[in-house]
Amino acid sequence: MASGQQWVLVEMVQAFYEAPAYHLILEGILILWIIRLLFSKTYKLQDSSDLTEKEIEEIIEEWQPEPLVPRMSKEKPAPSYNIVSGPPCHKITVNGKQCINFASFNFLGLLDNDRVKNQALQSLRKYGVGTCGPRGFYGTFDVHLELEDRLAKFMRTEEAIIYSYGFATIASAIPAYSKRGDIVFVDEAACFSIQKGLQASRSHIKYFRHNDMEDLERILKQQELEDQKNPRKARVTRRFIVVEGLYMNTGAICPLPELVKLKYKYKVRIFLEESLSFGVLGQHGRGVTEHFGVNIDDIDLISANMENSLASVGGFCCGRSFVIDHQRLSGQGYCFSASLPPMLASAAIEALNIMEEDQDIFRLLRDKCKLIHKELQGISGLKVVGESISPAFHLQLEQSSGSRESDVRILNRIVEYCMDRKIALTQAHYLEKEEKFLPPPSIRVVVTVEQTEEELEMAANLIKEAAQNILQ
Amino acid sequence: QVTMNVGVAHSEVNPNTRIMNSRGIWLTYALGVGMLHIVLLSIPFFSVPVVWTLTNVIHNLGMYVFLHAVKGTPFETPDQGKARLLTHWEQLDYGVQFTSSRKFFTISPIIIYFLASFYTKYDPTHCFINTASLLSVLIPKLPQLHGVRIFGINKY
Repeated sequence: MASGQQWVLVEMVQAFYEAPAYHLILEGILILWIIRLLFSKTYKLQDSSDLTEKEIEEIIEEWQPEPLVPRMSKEKPAPSYNIVSGPPCHKITVNGKQCINFASFNFLGLLDNDRVKNQALQSLRKYGVGTCGPRGFYGTFDVHLELEDRLAKFMRTEEAIIYSYGFATIASAIPAYSKRGDIVFVDEAACFSIQKGLQASRSHIKYFRHNDMEDLERILKQQELEDQKNPRKARVTRRFIVVEGLYMNTGAICPLPELVKLKYKYKVRIFLEESLSFGVLGQHGRGVTEHFGVNIDDIDLISANMENSLASVGGFCCGRSFVIDHQRLSGQGYCFSASLPPMLASAAIEALNIMEEDQDIFRLLRDKCKLIHKELQGISGLKVVGESISPAFHLQLEQSSGSRESDVRILNRIVEYCMDRKIALTQAHYLEKEEKFLPPPSIRVVVTVEQTEEELEMAANLIKEAAQNILQ
Repeated sequence: QVTMNVGVAHSEVNPNTRIMNSRGIWLTYALGVGMLHIVLLSIPFFSVPVVWTLTNVIHNLGMYVFLHAVKGTPFETPDQGKARLLTHWEQLDYGVQFTSSRKFFTISPIIIYFLASFYTKYDPTHCFINTASLLSVLIPKLPQLHGVRIFGINKY
């Protein structure tokens, strides 16, 4: 106790009687405040966008339910599917006819590879078919860890993470890092899974024209000016660029060296989606980073699906350890979906083995692409959209007939003409109401390493014939 | 839901909203303030009025920092960061005003203020310090100041 200070109740009460008036008035106000608090009802703060009761009632009154089954218009019949029996390998059986496959993304021909199939069968005997659980709940098998390890070593990154569904890979990776208030700069021709990932992330999305680095620099500069006006907000805003290595919708390759320069100039992180370029570009098939000779550590996240070149199912993301580790708890498709069936993981490992052993197939594939590109130039009525080394390119009508539906019908006739003559082609299908920037209708031609030069020439001649007969 | 969900799977999107309703937290808080007071009382060269003023000031400072200054959540929420720019007070009960825990945490600094002004014998200097401290912790709790950032301080 302090010296000289005695704590006596009587003195305290006396001090209360001698208290200054302002203090007692303040305490009185506070007591009234407490009483008001105790009797006030809970209420939710009205958002400025909330409607009044009357408006809500009005809207309920005038609502008419839509029919359960929407009326089908006579011009647009129900979609008829081409039915494939058997595996979609080099020779595909469509609607009972055997055709040469120019439609499946089987770039390295590993779909029907005996080694891959044997490895998958062995794995099936050992593990069974499914994993029956997500990765966190007894769904992690040694093949998953081995595949992640192999992919990380192959791509020369620190770590890789496996998803069990290729579409969900980039759609889970983007919202794991980009949240509300963050800004994502994305190419207009981004594929549907990227669009769904951006939608799930609730971030501000800024589109730039397809493969136009000047347009991207323009919006980056705009963002920089805004950041200078509000530096405190800029300090907590994360910025990302999402591009594809090889665009599925246009067959173009993204200019990665310029993107890396922009990254360091404007302090943006790059997410690279390499579904079509993994196992296709680069001397060893490592994708667009190897193709351009860019240091892989400059790219913050590489995402690819294993359903194209690797002829498996699922997808992976690879990058620095601290980046990939975050997805183990935040990647929705990783935590809340069953893991990849172990036989598919083993098949992917064996496919990686084949890719590492036979370095020549990548150059072979690119040569075949260049060949058919050259052959298909100069067809009147159809233009080839895509890089000459892109194995998945599009054939679009040079002049649209006015409406998308009639364009689709014309291209369908070309496809059917080719299918009748044993070349299986397909049109690129989109969810027309859901796409942000709907690409024009096109036939998507896929070159695989299993197609011989004769078959490529036959296909090119057939397409020329079809174009002449149908478009003239 | 007033149960304490510790170590169980729950579907609460932002646990910050419910933590002040969990069982035992009001008692823990009251005991914590009591412990603070006892520790301050044990320091030999503080007189009783000084100790009470110190309790009041330290409690209000702690309350201001944790409820009205620190924003967002210490954990990732599945709603893509809806509460990133909200203080804990603004997050309580998803913004519903005058819930029971909000009333409790508004009344408790007032009770401490009453006790402090009694034990400081209504001394003007102590009164000034205590009143300023109380106002700093009462005003941010007003529903009119929900989401308000004066002069843009602490906005991002």
